[in-house]
Amino acid sequence: MSIVIVDAREWQNMLDLKTGEKIQVENYSTEILRGVLQRHHYPGDVDQLSNRWVSETALDLIGQYHPQLVCLMYSRQYFISRFNPLSETERIRLLEEVFSEVEFMLAQSGYTPVIVGTGNLTEHIAELDLNGLDGLAISGNWSARYAGLHKPTPKDLAYLSTLPEIERIAARQELIDLFPGAECILERIPEYLLVAKEGFTFRTSGTPGRKIYRVPGISYQIPVATPLGNVETITGLRKLVRDNLKDHKIALIILEGIGEQDFRTPYSASKNSMGWYYYEPGENQLLTMSTGTQQVFAFPNGYNYLEENDNKEFPFSGYFKKIPAGTIAEDSGFRSIAVGNHSMHTHMVFGADICVECFARNLYNQGCMGVIHRTAEIQQENH
Amino acid sequence: MRCNYCEWRCDLSAGQAGVCRMYREEQGAVKERFPMQWSACSVSRMESMPFYHAHPDSRTLTIGTYGCNFSCRYCSNAHVARRDPLEFKAEMNGMAPEELIRMALKHGCQNIVFNVNEPAMSLQSLLKLKQNADQAGLPMGCLTNAYTTEESTEILAAIFSFLNIGLKGFSAEFHRNYIGIGSIDPILRNISRLAKIRHIEVTTPVIEGVNDSELGAISEFIAGIDPDIPWHVFRLLPEHEMKSVAYPSIERINQLLQTARKKLSYVYFHNFVGSDWVNTVCPDCGTRVIERFSLGCGGDRMDKFLCKEGNQCPSCGRRIKIHGRPYQTDVKEAT
Ligand code: SF4
Repeated sequence: MSIVIVDAREWQNMLDLKTGEKIQVENYSTEILRGVLQRHHYPGDVDQLSNRWVSETALDLIGQYHPQLVCLMYSRQYFISRFNPLSETERIRLLEEVFSEVEFMLAQSGYTPVIVGTGNLTEHIAELDLNGLDGLAISGNWSARYAGLHKPTPKDLAYLSTLPEIERIAARQELIDLFPGAECILERIPEYLLVAKEGFTFRTSGTPGRKIYRVPGISYQIPVATPLGNVETITGLRKLVRDNLKDHKIALIILEGIGEQDFRTPYSASKNSMGWYYYEPGENQLLTMSTGTQQVFAFPNGYNYLEENDNKEFPFSGYFKKIPAGTIAEDSGFRSIAVGNHSMHTHMVFGADICVECFARNLYNQGCMGVIHRTAEIQQENH
Repeated sequence: MRCNYCEWRCDLSAGQAGVCRMYREEQGAVKERFPMQWSACSVSRMESMPFYHAHPDSRTLTIGTYGCNFSCRYCSNAHVARRDPLEFKAEMNGMAPEELIRMALKHGCQNIVFNVNEPAMSLQSLLKLKQNADQAGLPMGCLTNAYTTEESTEILAAIFSFLNIGLKGFSAEFHRNYIGIGSIDPILRNISRLAKIRHIEVTTPVIEGVNDSELGAISEFIAGIDPDIPWHVFRLLPEHEMKSVAYPSIERINQLLQTARKKLSYVYFHNFVGSDWVNTVCPDCGTRVIERFSLGCGGDRMDKFLCKEGNQCPSCGRRIKIHGRPYQTDVKEAT
């Protein structure tokens, strides 16, 4: 059983991650987590101290739990760039702050870094409105260039093919063929995947009302900086980290919304794509890194999540219906933690023993949440 | 020429746009500046609005426009409500009523709820939408601050069969200092009126040290109209100008609500993850009759509907206040 502790400031609640039912478990790991959550109130997604919260929470956990693997996600720059008009000077300052934060974290912890940028951001040009189609178009909250098309009419397809802002209309099989062997549930993949040209996004029902300024741009490869060696594709990250864990305390650091264009330290490029398809920042990309296998179909772009979202298990885990298997920290044989300020990604994609993440919805700060995935194995005397 | 949609009764002559900046004068009539332009259109659950006693567990198309007639210092929708709608011109979602209805049906929605800003800012568009919604058999509901004039309160009632009314405080001073309006009287008048002719629920966002002392008077007022009106007390996480204010203490606010629970049948305390106070219990015998789960801000859902046929408590048979059919699992097919 995975345990959740939600901290809504001055008030904590313990629940079962799978069922959402209240539970009461008191042991070494819950004591650590309760204390960490109490000491580190989440300042908010776009707050000046949001990324510092990731570092400080992780350092507190490190001090008590002594993990060999630390997975960190820094996302403040992604949220700010997306929802605010930034001058070039402001944008550069924001990037510099992120890299200083990473330096701070590494200097304080002494861990060996594996720093990954999830991809470039680009100016948002315009939205393509798909609400008038006969069929159902779905584009995820955070997706930029992908939308799924369900039950389109010939009229829909004819119309879409006239839009110069659309780069590709890929039939379901075309996408499946691109990733031979990748696990997929056929019904979840939309009949067509619409791919917009860089800078354009799709407006479908559920597209948030906030004005968007920057969105994920073309990132066929993404930067990886580490003294541990190069990885040709992002599927190689898992092996690189796990092979080195017995000799190194490793910090896997994910910098959201930063690609090759803006990476501030020497890096090697790692393939983030297959043919014309590339991963945007999000759960599929993170799961691909974490499991070492292509996870394009874990949450297919444009799948009709609205159909599946009702009263499911794992109420704190977004679209996830089960804890993904084979993640980077699972069964690694070493202690692990994960801390991030992009909500449920942190506890679901890395599989770390103890995870702490922000609990925010549409940038509204609700507090933070901790998850203990392996309470039985975590014993005080083992460290 | 005056706009009489809300109690500001703004003068729209000489090209003025009014407090909400959503209306203008055109050929001697008050006209919307941005008719049929929506800021949001998405699918959600009724409990997330929140409506706990209307169409339980139904799937709803949520919509909103722009502009507001209040200036709440803690507004959580300031990016839409507090700016000049003209700034959003490029992003506005222009959808005719029939397109919105088609969208609702495509997604299997069983009703429509206007929940982003104040519906009085878009009454003409909503009246048109209402006609199409009626034809499609989709009831409409809204969240409103009820600062409407008597005439437009009747328009609200004509459009919406269920309303969640924000009663943010009970003193003139609070409304002056934190909401930016001169009098609470029209709101109280409209709550009384709407409770007689429509299903209403009331929501009070609470900020500790600001309006928590008014909770007793609010519950008293609601109980005076009808003790069965569901009351949602929201733990407010202030945004906008009050971002730095401390979060209200859950324990302390909950203590304050104990007296209200004696006067009102359905008192809920939520807007935070895992709230213990989102279930409906029978006011007579205390049996749990509806179970819900709260993920905080806009993430509530219904888990179990335990009432018997006719919305009766399974233990003592008391009728539980429910508007619309529970468990609306009959998804409409797109036509
Ligand atoms: S609806 Fe707008 S324009 Fe009309 S009176 Fe109210 S604030 Fe003024």
